[in-house]
Amino acid sequence: MAVLSVRGVTKRYGRLTAVDEVSFEAQPGRILGFLGPNGAGKTSTIRMIAHILLPDEGEVLYGGRPVGPRSQRQMGYLPEERGLYQKMKVWDQLCYLAALKGLSRARVKEQVTHWAERFGLEDRLQSKTRALSKGMQQKMQFVVTILGAPSLLILDEPFGGLDPINSELLRGIIEELKDEGCTILFASHRMEQVEQLCDDICLIARGRVLINGALRDIKKSYGRDTLHLGFDGDGAFLRPFERAGRIEVKSRSAEGMVLKLNDDKVPRTILETIMSQGVSFYRFELAEPTLNEIFIREVEGS
Amino acid sequence: MNMVLIVARSELLRRIKTKSFILVTLLAPTLLIGVFALIAILTVSTFESDSRTIGVVDHTGVVLDRLLAQEEDADLVLIAADSSTVQAAVMAGRYDGYVTIPKGILDGEESLRYYAAEGGGYGVTSSLRFRVRRAVRNHLLDEAGVPNEVRDIYRTSVSISSVQLDDEGEETGSQELYGGLGALMAFLLYFALIFYGNTIFLGVMEEKRTRIVEVLLSSTRPFSLLMGKILGIGGMGLVQFSCWAVMIVGLTAAAGTVVGFFMDPTSLGLGARASATEMLDASGIVLPTLKLSVVVWFILFFVGGFLLYAGLFAAVGSMVDQPQDAQAVMLPVMLPLILPMLFISSLLESPNSTLAVVLSMIPVTAPVPMAIRLVVTNLPFWEVLLSFILLLGGIAGTMWVTSRIYRVGILMYGKKASLKDAVRWFRSG
Repeated sequence: MAVLSVRGVTKRYGRLTAVDEVSFEAQPGRILGFLGPNGAGKTSTIRMIAHILLPDEGEVLYGGRPVGPRSQRQMGYLPEERGLYQKMKVWDQLCYLAALKGLSRARVKEQVTHWAERFGLEDRLQSKTRALSKGMQQKMQFVVTILGAPSLLILDEPFGGLDPINSELLRGIIEELKDEGCTILFASHRMEQVEQLCDDICLIARGRVLINGALRDIKKSYGRDTLHLGFDGDGAFLRPFERAGRIEVKSRSAEGMVLKLNDDKVPRTILETIMSQGVSFYRFELAEPTLNEIFIREVEGS
Repeated sequence: MNMVLIVARSELLRRIKTKSFILVTLLAPTLLIGVFALIAILTVSTFESDSRTIGVVDHTGVVLDRLLAQEEDADLVLIAADSSTVQAAVMAGRYDGYVTIPKGILDGEESLRYYAAEGGGYGVTSSLRFRVRRAVRNHLLDEAGVPNEVRDIYRTSVSISSVQLDDEGEETGSQELYGGLGALMAFLLYFALIFYGNTIFLGVMEEKRTRIVEVLLSSTRPFSLLMGKILGIGGMGLVQFSCWAVMIVGLTAAAGTVVGFFMDPTSLGLGARASATEMLDASGIVLPTLKLSVVVWFILFFVGGFLLYAGLFAAVGSMVDQPQDAQAVMLPVMLPLILPMLFISSLLESPNSTLAVVLSMIPVTAPVPMAIRLVVTNLPFWEVLLSFILLLGGIAGTMWVTSRIYRVGILMYGKKASLKDAVRWFRSG
């Protein structure tokens, strides 16, 4: 169980600098949400951590030593673009990929049997991989990732293509692995999942780190500048505030509105307006911005 | 276990366990023998059925009788015809064609004219020419009153059979047989390089297309993956060839029995209990033998050629992820492999020509010409060694370039790479 430390890592492709002096750390027993818009340099960074690409500058350390074949054996990597040999039997494929992780024959069998049972794949071990449904293949890919009891997990969109039941199963196992002390890097565009799972956040855009730290602290630093409002009617009473620039409507749904508040006194004024106009309302909640909101603000503001 | 070995083992096992592998291994020799048998049967039946009836219009008045008096020829039946009706007869299909013999033919001034509605070709005209020439010659000889002794001289015929000498001057067997064997080995090598090279190409492309390569690379280095794949598929070839070798040895042993089945040993002047080999010898069926050194060199060039092309096919495999883009990138790799095959008759005819030597010294073209030359001629040791050392150099160079292109290309998705991309990958790899 060790710290993953990315230090001043830079990766260039020709004239394009995909990753520009990126530094962050991921702690054992915690999940780091690794976020960024498309093309931010996430995949390149992940590949450098996985020792698939080598950085042009800087270094990636795991347990204080540069990543390499040794750290690869302690690592499970679930790439965003999933891939399995379609014509191979499930059992053969799992055994092969486990053997590549450096497991002994006996351990390979034990591990494959154990995880196949956990994921309900035990009846399909002699099927060809392509005969499995997409969801089954996703689960199989996850089994591939955690074979060999890795202490460092890199999960790129692990919930893609899974139904709610399987997502729940997977979430349980990820939290289990976290409690066992794994260092977990979780890359996703699904902000609500990140908010649910992650302890820390690293947000990058255009190859640079924008925010890095504990999710709690980051959210706190934005203050309670967001108002969740649930009411009946068309919300005409909000228009004067909007025109005056005191609020911005962030989202509008069947459950009401999410407003960004631009001055401290406006919540009180809104509440007074609701009361005086007799608007029927059922939710009035001052909150920190959602991670989704933080993501958009930071990336657009950078 | 070593990564290369783990990869090689998996590549080998997953391929030889497939139905298609087992089918190809069992059926290829059967198919090959079947094709040869078919060719033999067709050839024989063509000769038998191809009898032609030719009308003869004679303007000399002397040649026709002599022609008709010649011994019968099943392939070419000559019938006297009248110049006014013969053309209609040909059109009606009663004759396959007709020939006119002008007066001037006796002075050697005019030529025969052959008319036919279809086919015939060189075989018919040359045997017509041969038969009329004999008739004309006999007529002229009779007219000149040439004595029989001189005629006998004209009938003298000479035949030729060629024998291959080894470097100690020992006779080893018929040259034609060795030529055939050389061509066979060249084709074997050519098809094997294409088949196994293509298997590697498809394997690399599949890993790139399915993106599993990213999972593999998170456990092992690209070079180990590449080497494991090449060794695994090479191992598959080895298994396949071993199966074929066993089958061939079996068939050869059976050949003796088959000969014994059709022939009575006593009719060959041997005892009734003569062995199959003795009977093969006595019946004049000679199976060509190759010296051990030739076999060893052939295997070395085979393996060398495989490694060289394995590298090249792997490099281009890492440049594409869509099967429809495969043709374009394969072409530059296929060309040097095809090139020597275009010169195969020249290589058999003059195995020590400048062309043959040059092709043998260029690593990418060397395997095929060397396979032929090793069999049909006696190459000086230094020449074989030099060609092989150059091939080894070629393999090292190819592997170096390939591993650099491969480790970048394998992770590039979404577009077909150009040669320019490959050069850039090579620089950055």
